[in-house]
Amino acid sequence: MTRTGMMMAGVWALFAVLAAGPAAAQDKPPLIVGAIYVGSVNDYGYNRSMKDGLEEMKKAIPGLKLIEAENVPETAESERVMEGMIQQGAKLIFATSFGHQQFAFNLAKTHPDVYFEHAGGWMQAPNFGNFFGATQAAWYPMGVAAGKMTKSNTLGFVVGVPIGYAIGNVNAFEMGARSVNPKAQTRVVVTGGWSDKAKEAAAANALIDQGADVVTMHVDSPATIIQVAESRGQDSIGFQSVAAEQLAPKGWLTGLGFTWGPFMTETAQSVIAGTFKPAMVREGLGQGMMAVAPFGPAVPPDVRTLVTAAADKVGQGFNPFTGPITDNTGVVRIPAGESWGGDKMGNFDWYVEGVIGKAK
Amino acid sequence: MPRDGAALWDCAAARAKAFALVAAVALGGFATLLIAAGKDPLKAYADTLLYVFGNAYGFSELLVRMIPLMLTAVAAALPARIGLINVGAEGQLYMGAWLTTAGALAFADRPAFVLLPLLTLLGFIGGGLWALIPGLLRAFRLVSETISTLLLNYVAPLIVSYFIFGPWRSPDSSAYPQSPAFAEAARLPSFFHSRIHLGLVYALAAVVLYALAMTRTRFGLDMRAIGGNPEAARRLGIPVIRYMLATMFIAGGVAGLAGMAEVTAIQGRLVSEVSPGYGFIGFLVAWLAGSGASGIVVMSFLFALISAVGDILQITQGVPYAVVNILMAVILFIVLGRQPVGSGAR
Amino acid sequence: MNSALIAGVVTSSIMSGTSLLYATLGEIIGERAGIVNLGIEGLMLIGASSGFAAAALTGSPYLGIAAAALAGAAVNLVFAYLVVTRHANQLAAGLSLMFFGVGLSALIGGPFVGALITGLPRLSIPGLDPGGIGARLASYDLLVYLVLPTSLLIWWLIFRTRWGLGLRTVGESPSVAFAAGLRPHVLQYQALAWAGVLAGIAGAHISLALTLSWAEGMTAGRGFIAIALVIFAKWNPLWAIAGALLFGGAEALQLQLQAAGADVSPFIMTMTPYLLTLLVLVLWGWRRQSAAPAALGRTFVGVE
Repeated sequence: MTRTGMMMAGVWALFAVLAAGPAAAQDKPPLIVGAIYVGSVNDYGYNRSMKDGLEEMKKAIPGLKLIEAENVPETAESERVMEGMIQQGAKLIFATSFGHQQFAFNLAKTHPDVYFEHAGGWMQAPNFGNFFGATQAAWYPMGVAAGKMTKSNTLGFVVGVPIGYAIGNVNAFEMGARSVNPKAQTRVVVTGGWSDKAKEAAAANALIDQGADVVTMHVDSPATIIQVAESRGQDSIGFQSVAAEQLAPKGWLTGLGFTWGPFMTETAQSVIAGTFKPAMVREGLGQGMMAVAPFGPAVPPDVRTLVTAAADKVGQGFNPFTGPITDNTGVVRIPAGESWGGDKMGNFDWYVEGVIGKAK
Repeated sequence: MPRDGAALWDCAAARAKAFALVAAVALGGFATLLIAAGKDPLKAYADTLLYVFGNAYGFSELLVRMIPLMLTAVAAALPARIGLINVGAEGQLYMGAWLTTAGALAFADRPAFVLLPLLTLLGFIGGGLWALIPGLLRAFRLVSETISTLLLNYVAPLIVSYFIFGPWRSPDSSAYPQSPAFAEAARLPSFFHSRIHLGLVYALAAVVLYALAMTRTRFGLDMRAIGGNPEAARRLGIPVIRYMLATMFIAGGVAGLAGMAEVTAIQGRLVSEVSPGYGFIGFLVAWLAGSGASGIVVMSFLFALISAVGDILQITQGVPYAVVNILMAVILFIVLGRQPVGSGAR
Repeated sequence: MNSALIAGVVTSSIMSGTSLLYATLGEIIGERAGIVNLGIEGLMLIGASSGFAAAALTGSPYLGIAAAALAGAAVNLVFAYLVVTRHANQLAAGLSLMFFGVGLSALIGGPFVGALITGLPRLSIPGLDPGGIGARLASYDLLVYLVLPTSLLIWWLIFRTRWGLGLRTVGESPSVAFAAGLRPHVLQYQALAWAGVLAGIAGAHISLALTLSWAEGMTAGRGFIAIALVIFAKWNPLWAIAGALLFGGAEALQLQLQAAGADVSPFIMTMTPYLLTLLVLVLWGWRRQSAAPAALGRTFVGVE
């Protein structure tokens, strides 16, 4: 045996010893949960809200073990990561970003004894469920806040990817603004991706250049846009996570946040009890998954009352998408007497009157 | 390369030993870095080995990762033989994926035995044509192929994005930017209840054909002549320009196959990120392998293994996957620093 | 077309073009010495992450710039050792450097994702206070103000000093330089050290001025744009200014046009600078102009 050979043998032996070590069992947890995030949990946004929900779940179920992976792209790579978690013993997987759906679904087929919850999609199987906040109507009270607080009557909205759900958010926002301020207009800039900080900064600047004095967004992390608005002395409304308030001590108005904790805890408990039921869960304001963020110091009491009232209305079932509604080219999209319900929220490919931008 | 069996074995053993030393040093250096960051590298290495060799899924994923690497490596190695530098495999991969999607969407109702060969051909042509542009520019002495292939790497994903946001936007997923899912018939089949797919056959075929072509055919000989001294080759009557164009087209085509495999086997549709840099890693694989066929297989295996370390670090220790690039780079740095590695003429 | 749009585009171009310009200047210096570095992307990431980390730890964005510059230089010296002393293949070494930068920046920046820092403050030109739209045009951060003088300085260094002459000679032919009594290796190390400093600063501008954050891979290919820009600028720092504005402008323009209500495809617009560079290259090739330093050409053109 050559010296190199002995060295290699020694190294392998070392590995074998070390591998055996960790196999000595710790206390068996009641459940191992795996979660994948599309970005970093420190984004003051979507991923943060997911992380907060999972931490709540962990606190509520003593001994529960949570395996996490950040920056998991929405590609086949995610399948590999989730499979790795299953190999580590995970029996419940939260695939938290839209693009993870197909890959989580593939794994649901090959692992019938593991349960999956996906955020934002529609696929279902006996061990695969779907959940998300019903965001569109919730933007209405945000629009109310913006409409009341704007002085220039120009609002700015940065959209990451112009999917139907995002366009619906913009529409509800504008309609809310118009309900208290008929002159309010919303300008839209699309960055092309859910998370591109440089583009988001440039988009926010562009909107402010065009006169927007309240800026909001539908991107993964509101941080960059809020910071840009704050640095230019404009107001902002946040989205995804209520934690974003600390970024803009002066200009923060309010925001929408996701509160996933209760749902996640319920789901984990159902897996432990063996009573998991796949479902397409969509909860809006007042139903548990969404909340209005605290108001910033600049918002006067009468506006707070208005916004809270609008939020309560939505929580009780008010649907802003009730006809007649005209789009921004003059075409009537929702006739009088009709309304678009939750199932149609992905179908938006037009902007309402008052929005400056092209949806297609 | 020695030709008799015993000498061949000695040569390979010596190279393996040298490389094992490099790997050991790199693993040690990387481990030190991880320890400084408060992590447990030895456990990670152990977990990786267990996962990859003690687990059918882990091993199969290794092979799945190797497929695009072997293809893009051949895409870089082939032109290297005649002295052309192709860093454009990434773009060629995307264009192969793009043309494949065009076919999959247009002919979605055909049966698999018609559709799959067609898509394979389209993938090859897509990548091939994309590489032909720099090939033409170089053959007619207009632009260096290193630059043009590099630039086109950035244009290709933009073309893909344009199509999936526009004409090919999927109507079913509420306009989330991706193409509609491919029909079952358009999906490259997998084996063994894993994700190992027919692309493995393509990759191995590419490597084998490459090796055979280089060593046993007239073309291979001519190409090595061009690679050694193009002026002399020209005077000997070898049509250098034709070889340049053909080589770039074939190389691009092989990279295009990697794109075709990604969208038909793994993703099942066209998405905006088709490749996480396989084209660049393939270039490095080819370079480490000295453009030799067996080296390509070995190095692809090594890089796939490194990626597995990255996965394990992420899942079990919360280290961002990206950090594993350090390990990869350190190995490359050490090899780069040890001795001048041959640039292709072997 | 309104004045807000024009002002917005100009400001955005200047802001996003600045980091491009720094990176391009660094690469110009290196390539003038005959070394092509495909790893600028990695250097910029290292600059962005270490700058951000330093700013988060110390509270000073200026210390962040210093950290980024030092980190960039240090890492590029590793690259220099490989290609200058060990004669390693420059392309392979450059790509390896890129991967190294991706990984190292993730490691450095990881603990600081989500940290809030004081970014580089916007300073108005004293005396100029036009208010309104003009206010935006006339107030940038320190690095933006420095980039133009830096470009001029580098131009002067390369074309009007003995050091620059030596550098260019090395880039044309190291053996001629050696015969003339110069020390090519020393000059190349110096060039690459400065290139590292500039690339690090380029990265720092993105994290400390543009986005005030760190995220993995946030340079999004700008390092590769810089490589194209060097060629577009014919290895001349003055042309690089125009090129950086053009490339920075394309990205800015499409976002501003959207805000103003116009309809543009962001992808077509982003593609344009690359296609333009290729077109320009074809034109030069057609007219048989090659402005590349000859020794660099050997790496680029391969066997010819």
